[in-house]
Amino acid sequence: MSTANRVTASSPTGNIYDLGYRHYDGKRRGRWYAAWSLYVDSLRGIWGFGRPMSAKAAPFILAGLYAFPAAIQLAFSSVIAQSVKEGNAANLFEYGNYFTGLGILMILFCVAQAPEVVCRDQRYQVLPLYFTRAMGRSDYALARLASLSTALFLALMVPMFALFVGDVLMGADAFAAIGTELPKSLPSIPANLLVAVSMASISLALSSYSPRRAYSAIGLVAYFLLMEAVPAIIYGVGQHAGWTWADKLVLTTPITSLQAATDWFFGRSLTARGFPDTLGPDAYVLACIASAALFTGILLFRYRRVAA
Amino acid sequence: MALIETAGLTKEYGQVKALNGLDFQLEPGIIGLVGANGAGKSTLIKILLGLVAPTSGRASVLGMDVAAEARGIRKVVGYMPEHDCLPPDVGATEFVTHMARISGLPRTAARERTAEVLRHVGLYEERYRQIGGYSTGMKQRVKLAQALAHDPKLLLLDEPTNGLDPTGRDEMLDLIKRTGTEFGISVVVASHLLGEIEQVCSFLLAIDAGRVLKAAPISTFTQRTSVLAVEVEEGADRLAAALMGRGFRAKQDEACVLIALEDEALYDAVRDAVADLGLPLVRIQQERRRLEDIFREAVPASAGAQ
Repeated sequence: MSTANRVTASSPTGNIYDLGYRHYDGKRRGRWYAAWSLYVDSLRGIWGFGRPMSAKAAPFILAGLYAFPAAIQLAFSSVIAQSVKEGNAANLFEYGNYFTGLGILMILFCVAQAPEVVCRDQRYQVLPLYFTRAMGRSDYALARLASLSTALFLALMVPMFALFVGDVLMGADAFAAIGTELPKSLPSIPANLLVAVSMASISLALSSYSPRRAYSAIGLVAYFLLMEAVPAIIYGVGQHAGWTWADKLVLTTPITSLQAATDWFFGRSLTARGFPDTLGPDAYVLACIASAALFTGILLFRYRRVAA
Repeated sequence: MALIETAGLTKEYGQVKALNGLDFQLEPGIIGLVGANGAGKSTLIKILLGLVAPTSGRASVLGMDVAAEARGIRKVVGYMPEHDCLPPDVGATEFVTHMARISGLPRTAARERTAEVLRHVGLYEERYRQIGGYSTGMKQRVKLAQALAHDPKLLLLDEPTNGLDPTGRDEMLDLIKRTGTEFGISVVVASHLLGEIEQVCSFLLAIDAGRVLKAAPISTFTQRTSVLAVEVEEGADRLAAALMGRGFRAKQDEACVLIALEDEALYDAVRDAVADLGLPLVRIQQERRRLEDIFREAVPASAGAQ
């Protein structure tokens, strides 16, 4: 062994491990694998994994704030249970009203992270590298959309899980409580899935039109604010002026529609919230699905055209 | 099988004809694609990659048609764009691995290939650092690495030496040469600098204003274009006259004398002439002539042939 070492030490050391260029004869996968790889990388990127610490701040702070009330409720579940047992009415977060109360944080999450997903590749001109590989333009857009939807869904479901654990702990018999809580909590999965896909499609479609993060973010804020406010104002005026069509406009609001759609999944009534009761909650569900489809179409259209 | 083949390839952007009926056939090897800025080099490369659709005509890469089998072509082609294409907030290893996976390599294979390719392009410890902190030379290496990561059969390099200093330029050219010869990968190098193409390429395709100016092995170009520049502190006119008297084609250009390098005997003749006249010699250099010069010569000679 030592002899061998002495022999190699006299030869150029840089070449010991240099086996020359080797060709790759192994497996090559196709477009689905490429799209999956992009999806995974994108999802990691949204949460800042593989990026500097500063990239983790926004997503984790916002998701943390969103989950915070549920966590508090979980932490004090025994106190709350005691209080409820004593007959005090507790005004608590439930699966059905959580997004309604705290949805604004998810808007901020989209504003912060959607530009991160689609602007970087345009800003730094990485797109040609993707489009000259075994990946189509639509594959790229859909993989990005799937990743932001997944990230939003995870952020939305964390407090749901905390609520579930809290409610189970509040019960006298934990195993029996699981049995009663599970059916109550299950609608949160499709409801939050709809919220995630709808918000992700809107945010990405709008963000993808600018390579600049800041402009995209401003555009998103403007869209969410205006599309909430304007239909609400017209509806309010219309109620006095007798415009019977004005209630349909509320369907175009991005967040109010999602809140109303969530109510449909949990079988809650809309009237308590001042929504127009001329439309059933199912109309909002359809409106949200239509909006997700529309914005996905816009996103695909954008990537059909974007220069590479 | 031809590496690249085109027939009547035309691309119009509105009124502008970027490519105007290109017809050529290229065999595997290192091919230089030269042309002035705006000659249509990048457009040609983008058509070959299927990024841009031609207005008319057809093209094929490794026997696959660019319109019908773009996906098949992209699997076996590596592309290094002219512009920056690297996100600044990831490391080179992570980025190249990601790109290898997008090309279809399984996770472990992508990691191995990345390590190997980054070593080949000459990135070592710094490969874990964020790309944003790299020098231009290092970024060019990463760009080349991502194009090589999936072991393509053909590399399309668009101005690979852009923004590099002379040392970085030579290293990049050396890498390209090794890729073509040692690695056995065909390379198309687009450049507006003929000197670079001369150093590494075996075949040259010159295009100008969207037309093929000349397509020929590199040797036929360099023989006709080499020039020896002799700089003297004084008496350039006397030197030019003396050399012309010895039968060479010489021309005075301020303090320099430019002589067509057609014969090895020229070096001796220059030495003797300078010594005879007792001139203070500053330098003797074989000039890398600019592309415009060769074009000026090539146009009347080859316009009819093409």
